[in-house]
Amino acid sequence: MTPTRRAFLTAGAALPFLRGPARAQPADGTLRFGLSAYPPNLQPWVSTGGAAGTVKMLLHRRLISYNAKGELRGELAESWSRDPADGAWVFKLRPNATFQNGEPVTSTDIRWNVEQIGGEKSTAYMRAQFQAVEWIETPDPHTIRFHTRQPVAAFPDWFAGYNMGLIWHRSEAREPVGAGPFRIAAQERGSSITLEAVPNHWQGLPKIRTVNMVVYADENLRAAALQSGDVDMIEYVPWQAMSAVEADPRLKLDATTGPFMDILFNGSKGPFSDPRVRRAVAHAIRREEIVKAAFFGRGAVLEGVPMVQDTPWYDAELAKGWAYDPERSKALLSEAGFANGFQTTLLSTAQYGMHKDTAEVVQQHLAAIGIQCELRLPDWSTRVSQGQRGQYEMAIHGVSADSNDPDGLTPIFDTTLSPSHGRSFALQAPRTVAALAKGRGEFDQAKRIEAYKEFQRAALEEVPLVTLAWRSQGYAMDRKVKGFTNLPGALSTLSGAMLEEAYLG
Amino acid sequence: MRWLLRRIGISLALAWIVATIVFMTLHMVPGDPAEILLSTGGVSPDPAAVAELRERLGLDQPLLDQYGHFLLGLTRGDLGVSLVDEYPVLDEIALRLPRTLELILAGTLIAVVIAIPAGTYAALHRGGLFDRIASGAAALLLAVPVFVVGTVLVLVLAQILRIMPAGGYVPLAQNPWQHLTLLALPSLAIAKGLAAVVFRMTRASVLDALSRDYVRTAHAKGISPTRVLVKHVVRNALTPVLTVLGLHMGTLLGGTVLVEYVFNWPGLSTPLLRAVEARDYPMVVGIVLTISGLFLLINLIMDLLYAALDPRIRTA
Amino acid sequence: MKKLWIPGAIVALIILLAIAAPILGLADPVRQDIANRLAGPMAGSPLGRDEFGRDVLSRLIWGARTSLGVAFASAIIAGVIGTAFGLIGGWFRGLGEILTVRSMDIILCFPPVLLALLVVTLMGPGAGTLILVLSVLYLPGFARVTYAEVLSARSLDYVEAVRALGAPTWRILFRTVLPNVAGPVLVQLSLAVASAVVLESGLSFLGLGVVPPAPSWGLMIRGARATMEQAPMLLLWPCAALTLTILAMNLLCDGLRDAVDPRTPAGRRRLRLVDRVFPGLVPAPAPRSDAVLEVQNLTVEIATPRGPIRPVQDVSLSVRAGETLAIVGESGSGKSVTATAVMGLLPPVAVPVEGHAWLGGKDVLRLSEPEMRALRGGPMAMVFQDPMSSLNPVHTVGAQVVEAIQAHQKISSAEAWAKAEELFKRVGIADPAKRLRVYPHEMSGGMRQRVMIAMGIANNPKLLICDEPTTALDVTVQAQILDLLNDLKRETGMAMIFITHSLGVVSEIADRVAVMYAGQVVEQGRVEEVFGNPLHPYTRALLAAVPEGEEPPLGIPGIVPPPHNFPVGCRFAPRCRFATAACEAAPPPLEAIRAERQVRCIRWHELTPTEAVA
Repeated sequence: MTPTRRAFLTAGAALPFLRGPARAQPADGTLRFGLSAYPPNLQPWVSTGGAAGTVKMLLHRRLISYNAKGELRGELAESWSRDPADGAWVFKLRPNATFQNGEPVTSTDIRWNVEQIGGEKSTAYMRAQFQAVEWIETPDPHTIRFHTRQPVAAFPDWFAGYNMGLIWHRSEAREPVGAGPFRIAAQERGSSITLEAVPNHWQGLPKIRTVNMVVYADENLRAAALQSGDVDMIEYVPWQAMSAVEADPRLKLDATTGPFMDILFNGSKGPFSDPRVRRAVAHAIRREEIVKAAFFGRGAVLEGVPMVQDTPWYDAELAKGWAYDPERSKALLSEAGFANGFQTTLLSTAQYGMHKDTAEVVQQHLAAIGIQCELRLPDWSTRVSQGQRGQYEMAIHGVSADSNDPDGLTPIFDTTLSPSHGRSFALQAPRTVAALAKGRGEFDQAKRIEAYKEFQRAALEEVPLVTLAWRSQGYAMDRKVKGFTNLPGALSTLSGAMLEEAYLG
Repeated sequence: MRWLLRRIGISLALAWIVATIVFMTLHMVPGDPAEILLSTGGVSPDPAAVAELRERLGLDQPLLDQYGHFLLGLTRGDLGVSLVDEYPVLDEIALRLPRTLELILAGTLIAVVIAIPAGTYAALHRGGLFDRIASGAAALLLAVPVFVVGTVLVLVLAQILRIMPAGGYVPLAQNPWQHLTLLALPSLAIAKGLAAVVFRMTRASVLDALSRDYVRTAHAKGISPTRVLVKHVVRNALTPVLTVLGLHMGTLLGGTVLVEYVFNWPGLSTPLLRAVEARDYPMVVGIVLTISGLFLLINLIMDLLYAALDPRIRTA
Repeated sequence: MKKLWIPGAIVALIILLAIAAPILGLADPVRQDIANRLAGPMAGSPLGRDEFGRDVLSRLIWGARTSLGVAFASAIIAGVIGTAFGLIGGWFRGLGEILTVRSMDIILCFPPVLLALLVVTLMGPGAGTLILVLSVLYLPGFARVTYAEVLSARSLDYVEAVRALGAPTWRILFRTVLPNVAGPVLVQLSLAVASAVVLESGLSFLGLGVVPPAPSWGLMIRGARATMEQAPMLLLWPCAALTLTILAMNLLCDGLRDAVDPRTPAGRRRLRLVDRVFPGLVPAPAPRSDAVLEVQNLTVEIATPRGPIRPVQDVSLSVRAGETLAIVGESGSGKSVTATAVMGLLPPVAVPVEGHAWLGGKDVLRLSEPEMRALRGGPMAMVFQDPMSSLNPVHTVGAQVVEAIQAHQKISSAEAWAKAEELFKRVGIADPAKRLRVYPHEMSGGMRQRVMIAMGIANNPKLLICDEPTTALDVTVQAQILDLLNDLKRETGMAMIFITHSLGVVSEIADRVAVMYAGQVVEQGRVEEVFGNPLHPYTRALLAAVPEGEEPPLGIPGIVPPPHNFPVGCRFAPRCRFATAACEAAPPPLEAIRAERQVRCIRWHELTPTEAVA
């Protein structure tokens, strides 16, 4: 087994000479990567989607990131722990870390970043979370202590998202100086970005010297570009192309079931304010059909709260809590006073095939229990807008948790948060929300597990949303691309960071 | 000259009306640029962050103020910057318009080279085998959607035979051969529909010219049939064909969306589509203004060309 | 009309299928059966199942309902509103024009996809929105077509007349103008429907069209594109349906255009010149005579769906050098066909099946096309009726004359231009050097005809055929042209055939005259003899009816019978007040009563006793 670059780093930065041979790769270390979309912009803290995330993670360093197994590992932080005395989270920075301009990475920089993200004028994705940071101490240039208003068990995970790239505190607004291994060599708005390795990076050169990212918005063409050899690697492999990739001896597929599809409800009015009706919906859908029709079998049935199997939070019984049972659905409907069903609408979008296909299958199954719904398929932006404003009754949504920790489900399940297209609208699920809060503040593993089991039980009854199916998220690449791993589960969207460990062999 | 100035004046007024309609409609369309940007990737943004971004982008100002601001910029030749990444709209257009024009010109060239001779031949042998086959082929070309043709071309040429790249763009200066290879498929796809239209138009126009008295006169002079065909039939039949061609080229300016999408050609249509999706108001208005301006320019050129080709119009 | 039949039937069939969808006993087009996803042909589903396991055949037919419904609805809406706009704009001009026709330019400025995108995002996708978008997109087409037609209809005589009578505007518009624009609008309608079917598929592909699960061809194609590698047939069916519909609509549209446009009558191909061979004819020896052109027993046959017709039958004529022969007769008498047959300019459907036409020892009816070409414009030239339409509008008149010169004389361009200038001088065009560079539309009618004559005499022809060269001109110019032709004939000694319906012109220009009726020569002789003492009742009627020599013979009741309906006996008998049973029994022969004097009437002895005695 080839030791990874990371292994060397943790083995000791004191042995820089060891790094040389391990990175001696073919001179033409250029990786051609097929992006699914052009990053709207590359502002480090603003959420601008997965494609932007992939680029941003190569330009910037976070405090913490994930290793190939999905475990936390230090990036700018060497170590971290919670101070049992005052409950502060303490991060030790790597002393040799520098920004791309050669300035050292200090606790002042990190403090400034966090203050900006949580600031009054912030548009950052993690703005709300970091506003929960009460004060920050920087006892020395390589130590930083965070005091949160409430205890947060998954606090380190907050630093691992791709919108948490940390920049030099004296950066110009338009030219953030990061500490990542790559910088932008060339870009053409809307079509391509070329990244080149930073020559004097504090961790040395990555194995790949140049990443040439080309946008292929059409998924069929993206797959075709890989198959014809135009690119070495693509993200978001279309499901219909996965078997062709697997069958091609030149190519390999690295897929994980991370994101999932769900149904959101407008709980402010109509039948869906009644949890029994929502549960009737949950039991009415044969999810295998969604997996087959929308994802060409590349996914898995999801009949409960989305917990990854083999994690402590997973419970085989609870995972089947919303199993297909149309009789039960009908009974629940009668109980709620809708024995003869009702008319409603289902919001989705025609812009993305999976949203449309899922909606079509859901429509069919709801009709079978007497809920006749008319499809509303506007463009994605209208869908977002209507979702945010509660201008719908039911909506199809596809999402990924923020992390594999159950707390990563909070933005999806906590309906007391601000109205969003990604959450049910004005829906009452008090027990679910309470259980989530409990788990968030709990540091004892056994109690956390219990809290999140309670969360699952509550959610199954209160139905803040109905989950439908896991969907496969895949990277496909030429077999000569090595060292890249698709991170497991919800972390798949963070896999772009693994490009710095990839090499062509 | 006065006629020309008048035409230019009318064109400018039309472009302004179109830009205003687009500006106003866009703001009426549901969806908020700040909200959409911060929701990219399906995440749920903090409403406070959205509000902050709206303020920063000036979207919280009254619509009329925004319109006034836009008009003011327009008088200075400034189309503003993208709401998404502050990229100047004019730069984006300057980068991408030439590529769309190249695609349209290449497609038109292919269409004309194939369709005008074919249309003439079909008209000369009206009802014959070629006429029937070509008319059928034209219907087929019109009927099979461009995204199907594109996908099939990519599947066969790029994925199965691997003799063509699947799509993309390389600047001419960087690699001329590759540039042309990449241009081939999308311009064929553009030519597809256009060739069908030009074929039908040429056929009808040549048939019409053939029945004209001056063609009989030409034959009565005892000149060769080829000369009759070239100087009297095709030359006269070409005028209406050119008008139709010009009109279609104008329409293509904003209509290459599917081709650009299917072949990953970074022209002007894709950013237009993206900008509408992102509700990137300045970008949409800027591109529409450019497209309609060009459309009007092409119309003007076509009128001038028409006059050059048909002396009867020149004096009128 | 035959051309409308087949495509009309196909379109009708498709529409019928779409309308009948609910009663055809098809499977439910929206019922999913994921277990049979992408299944091939199976019991009850001859075309297999789609990506949701829905029946493809059923979706195809129900899809026709949606696709065609949208297409027809939008085309008709656009047609009605657009036509109204065009009518208003074209009739009232001024502000109405700006509001209805000029405003259409705004729509044209919009990239169609953007327009669709904006409207759909504003109103939400669906069939209704789609119809709205498509009608808006097609509106300018209808408005422009109608506008142009109304403008030209405004100036038509009958419209002017109705207007002068003070009829109310709406009445003129609906009763008089609308029927006139109906043809082009109908063609535009079929074009719009065909194009709407295609656009529907494109917009549905972008997710801007019909809302699933309702079937439409565009949605089917969109769905099938994703599964193209697994189930390519799914892509084939909707594309095939689309192609068939477009093809049928196109053919229907072509047929409509032909039916509506009088200029391109269906099935008639004019002036397509290919070498023609007349099988089974033994070459006959050239007659020994001093005639420049000797036509013997010429019969021209045209194949029509109702069987062959003979617009010219058994015509014999001759003309000597320095002599002018006039051929006179009403429209449809076959005089022009005779001339075009001699020139070898008959349309391909018309074939000279019998007879000879000798010109300088050659039978021009039996020459190959290249040999004919050497004669045309050279030894034998022709001047046509309407100089405006007979001159090519896009070339200068000089270039057109030079072209004629260079076709037969191997001289340089400069020499040819000099010669053209000379010719212009000779036909009496003042300032010839300047006039050479002028376009036909910049000249007066008389000048244009002089250009045509210059072209005709450019290569010193032995025979000049003039087909009603003065009809389109006013009286004073007519006289000048006749004088010019007379002078030219005298100077060059060429033979001239002069086709006209005007007896006055005949007396002014001709030495001899042949009177034609219904494809036959009925009387021939020297002008003074024929006019002084007409033998045939038709000639007499002609002379009697035309005191001024300007009007068509009003005095003769009835009309010239059409070629497919010629009487068995004497063709003039039905209109002849002297007709007897014998006249109608058998065709009368052309009787030569003496040299250069012939008549085709069995009763001429009785009717003109003086001549019979002489």
